[in-house]
Amino acid sequence: MLLYNHIENALQSVRSNKLRSLLTALGITIGIASITAILSLGAGARAIVADQVDSLGGTLAIVRPGVQASSLSQNISQLSSPQYAASTLTKDDLSTISKTEHVSAVAPLMVLQGAVHGDLSAPPVGTHIVATTPQLQEINQIKIFDGQFLDEDLIETTAVVGYQLAIDLFGTEQVIGKSIKVRGETFTIIGILERINTPINFNTVDFDKSVFIGFESGILQNQGTAHIQQINFQVDSVANLDSAVIEVNKALLKNHLNQPDFTVATGASIAQPNSQLFTIITGVSVAIAAISLLVGGVGIMNIMLVSVAERTREIGIRKAMGATNGNISMQFITESLLLSIVGGILGYVLGYLLAFGVSLLLTFDPVFSWEILATALCVSVITGTLFGAFPAIKAARKDPITALRLYN
Amino acid sequence: MSDKKPPVIELVDLKKRFGIGDASHDALDGVTLTVERGEFIAIMGPSGCGKTTLLNVLGLLDSDVDGDYILNGTNTTLLSRRKQAHIRSKQIGFVFQSFNLIPRLTVLENVAMPLLYKGDLKTKRLKKASAILKTFHLHEREYYMPHQLSGGQVQRVAIARALVNEPSIILADEPTGNLDSNASHIIMEELSELHKKGNTIIMVTHNPNLTTYASRVITMLDGKIDTDTFRLPSSQSKHEKIPLGDMEEIQ
Repeated sequence: MLLYNHIENALQSVRSNKLRSLLTALGITIGIASITAILSLGAGARAIVADQVDSLGGTLAIVRPGVQASSLSQNISQLSSPQYAASTLTKDDLSTISKTEHVSAVAPLMVLQGAVHGDLSAPPVGTHIVATTPQLQEINQIKIFDGQFLDEDLIETTAVVGYQLAIDLFGTEQVIGKSIKVRGETFTIIGILERINTPINFNTVDFDKSVFIGFESGILQNQGTAHIQQINFQVDSVANLDSAVIEVNKALLKNHLNQPDFTVATGASIAQPNSQLFTIITGVSVAIAAISLLVGGVGIMNIMLVSVAERTREIGIRKAMGATNGNISMQFITESLLLSIVGGILGYVLGYLLAFGVSLLLTFDPVFSWEILATALCVSVITGTLFGAFPAIKAARKDPITALRLYN
Repeated sequence: MSDKKPPVIELVDLKKRFGIGDASHDALDGVTLTVERGEFIAIMGPSGCGKTTLLNVLGLLDSDVDGDYILNGTNTTLLSRRKQAHIRSKQIGFVFQSFNLIPRLTVLENVAMPLLYKGDLKTKRLKKASAILKTFHLHEREYYMPHQLSGGQVQRVAIARALVNEPSIILADEPTGNLDSNASHIIMEELSELHKKGNTIIMVTHNPNLTTYASRVITMLDGKIDTDTFRLPSSQSKHEKIPLGDMEEIQ
């Protein structure tokens, strides 16, 4: 009841100083807007890989060499360790997995570095040579723009290219039947993939900029050794995924002489290395954005102090009429809360406008979630309380006699 | 309760000191005073004799004093600030020389404000305030802002505000100090009217003419009570306080 009155009072005070209140709230708006934008885009980035895995129907599992980092700090140290170290996965592992019960398709990803030449004289940089089997199409649900994917019968001399790579190599996407030189070997292009535009994905390579050759051709190009970065496999139904993963784990452990130097991942843990990285980036960005919130909070404190000084006499009158110190401080806290909450709500809206604007330049969209809304609201409430507390206490401690004598 | 009610105010050897050490100065130097229900006291005296300090102490705005102040049987000097605020809210009404309305609130909201700290709901507050403004013939000015009224009207609003929570005592610090003589007499008539209805009023004034309205005149000198004169038979002030309007109806 008294609170309702404080709110009414605060509204009136804010209304009587419209411009001042707006500018004060703006400080909070900017702080909350940047935090909202960063959090929503960060969540969007984290969701990319998880969404890709989900869209493949939940029957996908992958095997990667090495042990997956379980904590953030391990993940950071993995980032700095050499990526070209020899893989622990072998051709034997591949055949072991394909023989496991319920596994319906297996495809290795052997990623090679090297020059790729087409018609244009300058070879594009950053091209991945992916040596794999035709089953990759089924597992990853790869869509073909023109022609076909790798075929068992023609696998030794043919290649499939990503959409962007075709344009980079030949200046056109009409490349079927053209010759492509991969590390000096000539292949005939039999297919071109649809543009997928997912540079960040669980395969760790951008398919738009990749050339796909047969697994055996890849081994030949790599001095006869298989260097498998990842094995994707699919099980026949979602219900059998867990049991198949356990079976694969057991079988591989046997192959590896009981050394757990590989990881079988499903669902969200496939996305883990990426999402942990984005968590770090988001966290650091939010910390920087919080500085602007601090500035906004100081702005609120400043204006509240001015407001208290302006209304010293009113404080004296109210105290003489029976207001306790608590009543007076509540009145001013309510006012600073009003400023910060209004600022926070505006900031939340502005933050999403900003995030959607930025996402036009990115390959992912901002995510709406109640966590972000709650964060924005909580942070503005805390800011309002924290920075309104000192002026409010100052107001409450004013001596009524002095306050009433002022400007007499 | 016995038919003999305790005095509203009892001051026992009240002292108030400003400053420290050599620079200290006793604004109140041993004031002992008893105020009965229904008295209209005018306090006179030269500047600096401690009139306003006494009024501040009576209004519990200044509690840093030596001696005892017993209000309606409660020794207030030992109470916490919070309790003192509650007593101010329920038992004391202030009328100031400079009116002290809140300029950004309407007349009605100003009058209703003391009820806020008493804990009344908004509708009830405004109804009570409206009823009391009616007794001061100001109900047509309810939605005016204070700056739109004349000085005399503003002071009547302030008196209405002091009365709205039905206090035991009304403290007036030179209520006519900022008014011309015409408006002064209107204000004094209003106070006198309240007195006749049974309210206890303590008023500080510089104007000897205005003491004719009072039932008791106290003059102060150097922080002490100099003279204390009863002007009217005190029998008049013995009857119960009569409520101003139909307050029962509202409640």
